[in-house]
Amino acid sequence: MDKMILNLGPQHPSTHGVLRLQVVLEGEHVVSCEPDIGYLHRGMEKLAEAKSYIQYLPMVDRVDYLSGFFYSYAFCNAVECLNHIEVPQYANYVRVMMMELNRIASHLLWLGTYLLDLGAISPMFYTFRERETILDYFEKITGQRMMYNYFVFGGVRHNILYLDNVIKIVNNILFKINEYENIITDNPIFLSRTKGIGIISKKKALDWAITGPNLRACGILSDYRMNMHIYDDIEFDIVMSNEGDCYSRYIVRIYEMRESAFIIKQCVDWLKSNKKIPEPSQIFLNNFQKGEIYSYVEAPRGLSFCYLNSVGESTPYRLKWRTGSYYSTQLLKELLKGCSLADIMAIYGSLDVVLPEVDR
Amino acid sequence: MLEKIFNLVKALFYGFVTVLWHLFKRPVTEEYPEEKPVLNEYFRGRPFLNSCAGCGYCKRVCPADAIRIIKNERIVEKYIIDLKKCIFCGNCMFYCPSKSMHMSNDFALATNSKSGLQIDIINRR
Amino acid sequence: MNFLLCKFLEFIKTINFSEHIALVLFSILPFALILGFLILTVIGLVLFERKILGYFTQRKGPNRVGFWGILQTTADAVKLLCKENIEISSGDNFLFTLSPIIAFAAIIILWCIIPYNAEFNMINSSVGILIYLIVSSFPMLFHFLAGYSSNNKYSIIGSYRALALTASYSVPIIFTILSIICITNTMNLNNIILFQTKKWIIFSNILGFVIFYISSIAKLNRCPFDLSEAESELVCGYHTEYSGMRFAMFFLGEYAELFVMCILISILFLGGYLPPFNVYLANIFMGNCSLCRYLIYFEQTFWLIFKTLLIIFSIIWIRATLPRFTQKTTLDFFWKYLTPLTIINLIIITFMRI
Repeated sequence: MDKMILNLGPQHPSTHGVLRLQVVLEGEHVVSCEPDIGYLHRGMEKLAEAKSYIQYLPMVDRVDYLSGFFYSYAFCNAVECLNHIEVPQYANYVRVMMMELNRIASHLLWLGTYLLDLGAISPMFYTFRERETILDYFEKITGQRMMYNYFVFGGVRHNILYLDNVIKIVNNILFKINEYENIITDNPIFLSRTKGIGIISKKKALDWAITGPNLRACGILSDYRMNMHIYDDIEFDIVMSNEGDCYSRYIVRIYEMRESAFIIKQCVDWLKSNKKIPEPSQIFLNNFQKGEIYSYVEAPRGLSFCYLNSVGESTPYRLKWRTGSYYSTQLLKELLKGCSLADIMAIYGSLDVVLPEVDR
Repeated sequence: MLEKIFNLVKALFYGFVTVLWHLFKRPVTEEYPEEKPVLNEYFRGRPFLNSCAGCGYCKRVCPADAIRIIKNERIVEKYIIDLKKCIFCGNCMFYCPSKSMHMSNDFALATNSKSGLQIDIINRR
Repeated sequence: MNFLLCKFLEFIKTINFSEHIALVLFSILPFALILGFLILTVIGLVLFERKILGYFTQRKGPNRVGFWGILQTTADAVKLLCKENIEISSGDNFLFTLSPIIAFAAIIILWCIIPYNAEFNMINSSVGILIYLIVSSFPMLFHFLAGYSSNNKYSIIGSYRALALTASYSVPIIFTILSIICITNTMNLNNIILFQTKKWIIFSNILGFVIFYISSIAKLNRCPFDLSEAESELVCGYHTEYSGMRFAMFFLGEYAELFVMCILISILFLGGYLPPFNVYLANIFMGNCSLCRYLIYFEQTFWLIFKTLLIIFSIIWIRATLPRFTQKTTLDFFWKYLTPLTIINLIIITFMRI
């Protein structure tokens, strides 16, 4: 049979941004696939070398527009550790709460768009409806819906408000997740499209440095929230599945949302029972410490590192991001080999790749 | 076999009923021009300035180089902010020593000309 | 039809018009009427689908143009017709233009086969169902040609998917129709409806109804079998390169086919224009007056459209709920499950007849 080279992207309805997949097809059968990234490169890392720390802080949210809080946290944490800035416990709890809300919002968006990739329309609108409640809350607290610029060195911008709203939002989402599961989880068509499709073996996942829910879906217990000091007093379970196919990635994310909701409730309880801190003073960081630091955070799309190298100037000497999506995208080349054309979207969607995060 | 078919029908039934149930719910659509969104004090819209000492801190923390201060012998004559460049991060507001910078709830910023976006935002009342 | 013809000729005589021209007119007028109805129906149907789909997902659907968004699809249609006619630089331009035209024309013929009430049936053939089957296979062929001629990789993939799908859904459709012919002993659509005066066929052939319903969703190229235009993989399938008027033709054809297919389902299984419980509302409220005779025709059309809309609603409901099949699972589903089931159904029906 003749081979056909099909260019999926950079402009394609379901590449979630601008990824180009060079697919060699034999009928419906994918012979090989070459992912081509870099269409959304904004020079996030180089930009840091020209901006001061405070100037760079609003940029960090744009590394991944769906989970800005996580990257904000990684950067703030790096700067705080290097300069020995004390963060009050109250601010830590606020950070955890916001991050977990953001994780739910990010997973909801993934769920909606993934099912849209598979051809189901309504789950997308339902998940966006719930995501809207979270984004509205973010807008109330931080001032914007996606580019928050809320975490600062030494705490958060201003004190948290409307804690009752959070409980309401979370309870609503816990209820609606059951609704999504009614529509999706046991649906025979959904099962036929995801079960046994795009299996990542344990070894492959470790070899390619996959992290986050994708790794946990392969049956490897790895969650960097366990090691992060801000999660020390918080109880939570790590969600894990053994198959490593698209379906287990879906299940892991669904249960992770429930786990996040559980964490948020603990945070709200703590925040309600403890006194508010005074508004943090603005730190200008005039004399920056020398040194290197590596701070990490468990983002919705996997482990994210922020490597910061400072020589004592007002700008970083070198800043490097390690983002989860980048490693998932690398895997596509091996994962898509031998699947069918329709499975490309099922597999690629299940990895939860966000292109701005890949290209930085 | 029979159990399998039963489970299949049950799953499909639940899905269909859940979707049908939404048909009788009130739509959540916000009809924008008629219904304005409810914003609170923290919303970061069009910036405005009450008084300015011209210290230039805002200029230093601005990530987009959107701020231009024209001074005439220590008195601020013009404080021009370029809304084309502005990313509404709110740094200028947060780091203003005298807390005179504010961001309003006005988010409809479209104008007909480029110069309409380079505005002098000092409030001289 | 004869009743209508007599009335028409009487009317012609009263205004002193040539009888020969009137006879020619009588055969042409209904087609023009149908074309007008078709376009109106499609415009209404698209609005109906968008509204229903909107409310399924807690949105309002179109609500800007006209009151309650009623003129939205009209505006869209006008926009499509006013657009520039883009010709493709490589590929077969003749076929590219021809395929939407024929795909649409075939569907107008389908509309003319349908008996809308006891009198209004333009092509009242003794093998109406066969004509329907033959003509309704035309659009799919020209969808294939459209994809082939537009010289686009997405289009050609969509085309061969459509072709593979055609082969798989045709067998269940034909075999189910065979089982209905077995029950009714006729291929005339009008007679099939009249056969159901006592009992609708759905009660004696429930399995056939389910099979026919599923296969017709595949035939209509709708979710969950919309493989040939799966937008997440194949941008737009066979009509990726189409725009403006030609795209409007495909779009019009698609929805007109949806409507006529649902009418066929209601004719074959749900008693067509017959009212439920075999009692006309006109007879209940008006008694047996002479006006009633005219009213009944309207009521018959109303019942037909009502049943059709119910089926269309269920198809939209399915679209809102289910994800899309893949090529492999679709072929598996049709060849491994549905086709054997159809044959079993046919055998059962045949034995019941004996």
